[in-house]
Amino acid sequence: MLQNRSSYPPQQSAVAPSLASSSEKSIPTSLTPSTLRTVATPRKVTIYDRNLNRRAPELSLAAFAFLFNEIVQYSQKNVKGIQEMETKLSEYGYHVGQRVLELTVIREIKSAKRETRVLGLLQFINTGIWKSIFGKPADALEKSKDQEDEYMIIDNDPIVNKYISVPREMSQLNCAAFQAGIVEAVMDGCQFPARVTAHSVPTDLFPLKTVFLVKLDPVVVERERYMR
Amino acid sequence: MSFYLAIIGTKDNAVYDLEFGTYRQGGDGRPKFSADMKQLCPFIVHSSLDIVEEMQWNTNVMHLKVIDKFYNYLISSYMTAGNIKFLLLHETRADDVIRQFFVDLYDLYVKALMSPFYSVDQPITSAVFDQRVKMLAKKYL
Amino acid sequence: MVVYSLYILNKAAGLIYQRDFNEGLKRLSSNDYLVLSGTFHAVYAIASQISPVPSSSGIEVLETETFRLQCFQTLTGTKFLLISEPRQQNTDAILRRIYELYADYVIKNPFYQIEMPVRCELFDRHLATYIRGIP
Repeated sequence: MLQNRSSYPPQQSAVAPSLASSSEKSIPTSLTPSTLRTVATPRKVTIYDRNLNRRAPELSLAAFAFLFNEIVQYSQKNVKGIQEMETKLSEYGYHVGQRVLELTVIREIKSAKRETRVLGLLQFINTGIWKSIFGKPADALEKSKDQEDEYMIIDNDPIVNKYISVPREMSQLNCAAFQAGIVEAVMDGCQFPARVTAHSVPTDLFPLKTVFLVKLDPVVVERERYMR
Repeated sequence: MSFYLAIIGTKDNAVYDLEFGTYRQGGDGRPKFSADMKQLCPFIVHSSLDIVEEMQWNTNVMHLKVIDKFYNYLISSYMTAGNIKFLLLHETRADDVIRQFFVDLYDLYVKALMSPFYSVDQPITSAVFDQRVKMLAKKYL
Repeated sequence: MVVYSLYILNKAAGLIYQRDFNEGLKRLSSNDYLVLSGTFHAVYAIASQISPVPSSSGIEVLETETFRLQCFQTLTGTKFLLISEPRQQNTDAILRRIYELYADYVIKNPFYQIEMPVRCELFDRHLATYIRGIP
């Protein structure tokens, strides 16, 4: 996905040479398509020329780690507390989630089906979405025992946290809030508005174990009841 | 034959629209709507959104086929996973061809979405996108 | 065979990490640790200056009857010192591996500020696991 983005914006680099080559002639008053066409450079390959179904090769985890590093540091600026920082991380994840949803559906679901039930959608997130982003399904999907509107997606070893040691004074922070944002975007995108938060539940075996708590909007609960 | 295509965002906002005509049977690709019809197209299409909303929970397919009629015109609809609606106003029934058109349009839409300068529900202004949609129209309709 | 302890020095001779892996080692005062690392840093620099062979590195190995000190300097000037039993094999390979762990769990941690003391739980954990597994 990251690779696809690198080809955008399609026209900017085509504009630059046209300005340079036209300096001998008269400077064009406006960059109409015809002035662009006179440039001898080969036509720029846009995102529309690429195949969505061709799977990108696996990306370097180190490259991702450094990028995510910057995201975390950036989200730390101008925030008053940990809550606010998690909200910011979640927002960044939201933008990713909106795109991942459509991309994963178009790549993986050949039957052109939409998810109309909560459980189906959660299972799709648990396996489909997780696999397409992280290369593995999430470790578990559970329904809350006490609350009818709460579900839990469990990841024993979230990739975004792989190299992150949160300092003691910020122990409530879980950078997987970014992942929670992705889940939230997918839920919202499919018309299942929900609030998704990430919580650390360290165990001896899985010190980074994270639970993504999905709290459904009352509208969704109502609709589910009606559809049943 | 003339067509009117609209892409509608998640908040029932207009994302993209296009009027075009067929190239089949000696057509020149230009829409031949009357002046009245030209103005009515967006209204007809938007009014059928209510029907889409009613249908979307009763079925789990993306291609909802013909969902509405307005005199001689038919309205076909396609819903993406992210709840973006494609609506096409057309004159004759051709579910299969329209489905293929929608599937390819979905592909194009996702490509537009992959741009970091575009986000969900924004109008699509890319000239390349426009050109590709016209190519699809020429290919299928 | 036993690995005794690990020191990490930043490029300004500051001690940013110190850990003993065996119980019963004599602990120094924190000030002494700083003096020790400062001294080694200086000796390392002097060694590379007075070496008759041009462009040689500083001290890489220091062997005594009771311990062996292996030093590895990264391209950015960070030094890793490993103190082990004299008979310990492959100490250079061990240091390389520790350097990898450092690159992963310290440098890729958004909360670590470069050149500052290392306080990363995951680094401690992975380091301990690795040292425990050394034959």
